[in-house]
Amino acid sequence: MTAVIHIIARERVFYLFVLPFAALTILFGVWPILLSVQVSLTASASALGASPKYIGLANYVAVLADPLFVASLWRTLAYTVLSVAANLAFALAFATLLDSSLIRRGNLFFRLALFLPVITPDVAGYVVWRWLYDRSFGAINAALTSIGLPAFGGLSSPDTAMAALLIAELWHHAGFYMIIFFANLAIRDRSLEEAAHIDGATTWQRWRYVVLPQLRPALVINTVYAMIQFLKTFTVIVVMTKGGPGDRTNFVSYYAYQLFDQARYGEATAMATILFAIVIVLSLTAYKLGDREPGR
Amino acid sequence: MGNLRNLLAAAAVLAATLPATAQQLTVWHDLGDNGIKWFEALSAEFAKQKAGATVRSQSFPTDQWFGRVISAINTNTAPDLIFNNYERVIRIQDQTGKVVDLKSLMDKVPDKGFLSEDDMRVATYKGRQIIIPIQRVQMAFGVRKSWLDKNGGKFPDTWEDVKKLAVAFRDNDPDANGKADTFGLALEAAKPRDLIHILDLFMFGSGLRHTLVDPDGKITVDEPAHAQVLEEFLKTYTSYRFVAPDTINHSFAEMYQVIEGGRAGMFRVGDWNVKKWDGANVLGGDFVSGPWPKFAPDRQNAVVIAGMRGVAIPENSPNKALAQEFAAFMLSKAAQQASLENIGAGVRKDLNVSKLSPRAQFFAKAEGRLVAYDFPESVHAFYPELEAAYHRKLMSGIANPPADWKPFIAETAKEMRDLAAKLSKK
Repeated sequence: MTAVIHIIARERVFYLFVLPFAALTILFGVWPILLSVQVSLTASASALGASPKYIGLANYVAVLADPLFVASLWRTLAYTVLSVAANLAFALAFATLLDSSLIRRGNLFFRLALFLPVITPDVAGYVVWRWLYDRSFGAINAALTSIGLPAFGGLSSPDTAMAALLIAELWHHAGFYMIIFFANLAIRDRSLEEAAHIDGATTWQRWRYVVLPQLRPALVINTVYAMIQFLKTFTVIVVMTKGGPGDRTNFVSYYAYQLFDQARYGEATAMATILFAIVIVLSLTAYKLGDREPGR
Repeated sequence: MGNLRNLLAAAAVLAATLPATAQQLTVWHDLGDNGIKWFEALSAEFAKQKAGATVRSQSFPTDQWFGRVISAINTNTAPDLIFNNYERVIRIQDQTGKVVDLKSLMDKVPDKGFLSEDDMRVATYKGRQIIIPIQRVQMAFGVRKSWLDKNGGKFPDTWEDVKKLAVAFRDNDPDANGKADTFGLALEAAKPRDLIHILDLFMFGSGLRHTLVDPDGKITVDEPAHAQVLEEFLKTYTSYRFVAPDTINHSFAEMYQVIEGGRAGMFRVGDWNVKKWDGANVLGGDFVSGPWPKFAPDRQNAVVIAGMRGVAIPENSPNKALAQEFAAFMLSKAAQQASLENIGAGVRKDLNVSKLSPRAQFFAKAEGRLVAYDFPESVHAFYPELEAAYHRKLMSGIANPPADWKPFIAETAKEMRDLAAKLSKK
């Protein structure tokens, strides 16, 4: 204890500067999470009341026994895996392309074009995508049918709804991941590529064995961030599908939100807490795995 | 020191006199700008009978209204009055148990003969009168007049009439823009209340009494008359191709886009829609309203009263006595006239409707035969959960339509019976 006080006293300026941000984090970050966990342990009918009735883990048991929740959880995980892979592959491909000598002219234009969707308000962007997918007046089907291709089911077909969401989210987020890759590419050691070139490595070999390993920091950050982002997918559902058609895009966040609408607060916050735990575990695992030194 | 004493004395005198001279009531609602204007008009009227009293209203988006009211009541920072649909006040009462029973107040209101038994039933929950009914929410069946005129001009009376018109509106380019971009009907489906609400309108409008469950808890889905309406309703979304293909994902906002964008010929008209749709930039009054279509010759069709908006008072309202006085005042002719002019609805039948458009008069004069929705929320606490499950089941059918709807309806009824039995034991 004395040692702790001694450290605090020694580093008092540091702790003084940290204090306001720590207080804000606790107030607006940690406290709401703890409140949400608290609500998940209460009966919904009394959850928001002055004297909530605590029912232990009953909400968690009910939620985990709900086949709709289990289906929604698997759906969320599948969507996350697909989205993380698609976003990172797309972003990496474009960052590499923009970093190469292939696109010299208009490089800034392409970078801006890819980053612009990131700063576009998500609701506005998704509304436009919904119109693009519309089966009666949408531009996508108009283009497809005009060249003799079959119409795309878009958001109204259970077979294509998830893919349609993935494409819209790819448009919105990939630019962000691209910028991170691009920054990492800019600070890499180019002399290693020159050495490999002199040693006779092909373009592919230089990229795979020299450039890619140097992108590990960007890969780790992007993977963790994208996982958190897509596990919590919500806005795109609210704007574009409302969980439909049927339950095809009913992801965990949206399902929990629907339960709020039915005043089932205990179960809704239990779902949110389970999702929170999954996000934490998966993110930390991804971070630990990515942060390992190669060969260890 | 003497100055300070004088100052404190003056402040005490001022504080003591304030309540007597200026008392402000606060009302929380979700009616937006029209609601704020309405309460401003009410405040001015109320001040005539209660000098010094003012009413300040605050509008919240519906979901925020709900959360804020509950937290305010639970933390003793409640407003004086709350105003919303009856089912939302039921949820407030369920969550807080602190909504005043207004029965004794209602007993003292002399002029209330215009309130029907249905109105009072909706206002009562578990033996307590939780709202004073202020605005009936009427919903009629609407048709674009110019499109109707091109197709004989006769308002559709039966479901067969509606089907014929829907085909014509879809296939005959009624807006003459040279494109196949119009639909027979504008409906919604995405959320439980969207789809079941529209189904409610078809059911009650065609003379049936319950959509899903009766007051005894009996599931009505597969009763022959219900099954007939339900099957046609589901075909409207699927094989009949009367609605936009994306309707499966449409909620209120998208449904209104289809209606107001001039892409559908038949739609739901709520009494509150008329003022906006009469506007030159929206539909310019190009619509007529009437009862919902008949599905069987032996059942009378009707305009549906699908809700009731009312005023409620929290137990910890800061000015409870004045709040009760104001709540009773909201039934007066002057207050109801303001309600009609600002919101397009009221409960009195003796209001001056001459300034309203013919389309608004249709509702104000209650020209159509009116039937009330059965308000299962006020009888079965489990209804929202049952309704959500019913919605999921119907949506699965709409997303993957079966070749024959009859087995689907029978299976749905069985699933709902099992679920209702389970939920009623909770």
